[in-house]
Amino acid sequence: MDELLQALVEGILIGSTYGLIALGMGLVYGVSGIVNFSHGDFILLGMYMCLGLYSALTLDPYVSLIITLPAMTVVGALVYRFVIRPIASHHLLMVVQLTLGITLVIQSALLMVFGGQGQRTPSIVEAKLFVVGDVVMRGPQVIACLISFALAGALFVILRSTDVGRSIRAVHQNARAAALMGIDVGRVQTLAFAIGIGILAVAAALLAPGASIQPSDGLRYTVITLLVIVLGGMTNFVGIMLGGLVIGCSEALGTVYLSETLGSLLPYAIFVLIMLFRPRGLTWGAS
Amino acid sequence: MLEVRDLTAGYGGVPVLRGVSLHIAKGEIVGLLGANNAGKTTLINALSGIVAPMSGRISLEGEDVTRLSAKARVRLGIIQVPEGRLVFPEMSVRENLLLGGINAAARGRRTTEMERVLDLFPRLRERFSQLAGTLSGGEQQMLAIGRGLMAGAKLLMLDEPSLGLSPRLVQHIFEIIERLNAAGLTILLVEQNLQLTLRYAGRCYVLERGQIVVEGAADAVRSDPRTRSAYLGL
Repeated sequence: MDELLQALVEGILIGSTYGLIALGMGLVYGVSGIVNFSHGDFILLGMYMCLGLYSALTLDPYVSLIITLPAMTVVGALVYRFVIRPIASHHLLMVVQLTLGITLVIQSALLMVFGGQGQRTPSIVEAKLFVVGDVVMRGPQVIACLISFALAGALFVILRSTDVGRSIRAVHQNARAAALMGIDVGRVQTLAFAIGIGILAVAAALLAPGASIQPSDGLRYTVITLLVIVLGGMTNFVGIMLGGLVIGCSEALGTVYLSETLGSLLPYAIFVLIMLFRPRGLTWGAS
Repeated sequence: MLEVRDLTAGYGGVPVLRGVSLHIAKGEIVGLLGANNAGKTTLINALSGIVAPMSGRISLEGEDVTRLSAKARVRLGIIQVPEGRLVFPEMSVRENLLLGGINAAARGRRTTEMERVLDLFPRLRERFSQLAGTLSGGEQQMLAIGRGLMAGAKLLMLDEPSLGLSPRLVQHIFEIIERLNAAGLTILLVEQNLQLTLRYAGRCYVLERGQIVVEGAADAVRSDPRTRSAYLGL
């Protein structure tokens, strides 16, 4: 029983960050129909930026955000404007290939600069533990969970009730009509991509403390993100956060109750199972 | 007010419109008629800046707007109410109207404009917080027009406003259009429905395969044999 509770809590803690990461992808997909297969590699880019800033200036990952958040947001805007947008109107497969290409570029660049061995970024909160009853929670994960939900909530409010948010939703619902309202569709798409990558800068800082990373780890995050946003129904905000929790919990349960290798398969098994019964995602029909 | 000279425009290098010229004076209702695929929607999209012209000139109140972006033209008051309404289905009536007035020129006056639109279409006031996708076709057309008015339209271009509506609703929509015109709004009415357009528009143009084949006062257009042939493709 204690084991179950512990696993569920850990699942929710990590799942909230998965949800946040997937929100970034959902936002981009919603306004430009692009599935960015380099999503996870941008997380790694962010994490290595934290590592670099720690090595150079001994900045804590959370403090690094002052630099990584604006830097990643600008990188996102530039990548969309000058790399993705020129071919965005071509065949979907070309865009997929392009984002896969970005994956290789980021991985190789990280390999060149940081090398292939596992490295970790320390943080002051790394060793901190929160104990509630019999459940033990690691400091960075608690912080990650709180910030993930807070940021998701802030995004939700921005999308719901500001002009920028309405423009984004308008482009998602009908890009042609949005253009007729005088909304610059290309600019909204660039903005969404920039926000999506900016979110990854935050996610990277949340995941970085104490975690051992390698340049090739991006793929794992991309795959998790894809599972989460498909579960969430691609663009449904609440669904995506819920999808993140489902994947986070199945991962944690798998690791506790099954062997290490078998356990990491559980999220996929549960994903397939849910897709069999709810092919349009968890919250379809309830949005 | 609006002057189009020798406009050639199309998609992917293939012209749909070839050498179209027309003018609209302030306060007019001008009808643009033609069969399916005659190029009506391409013309209205070229005026909106959604389709880039290959050659020719478009000017608004004497100013050349040919190369202006869609965004800049909305700000100048060239507003399109598109065919099939294209309301934002998962947003409320209120949000659709707010988006109508999102351009920089109209944003500051949204509260007062919205009151005006809701007075014009009391039905929209009843449906104010309902999702636009759940409205009836007639209500969606009202919303689409209201959204256009929110943008601060000087020239309102309506693409097939009668499409898919019952005769009674069409009547209602056209009475509203007439009322807006009486209040000073200039209107370009793009329609397939010949009789309806000739009844409301002062002057008309008839498009056939990308070119204007008939133009003039409604009565003259009605009795011109080329109007009939443009429709029947004879």
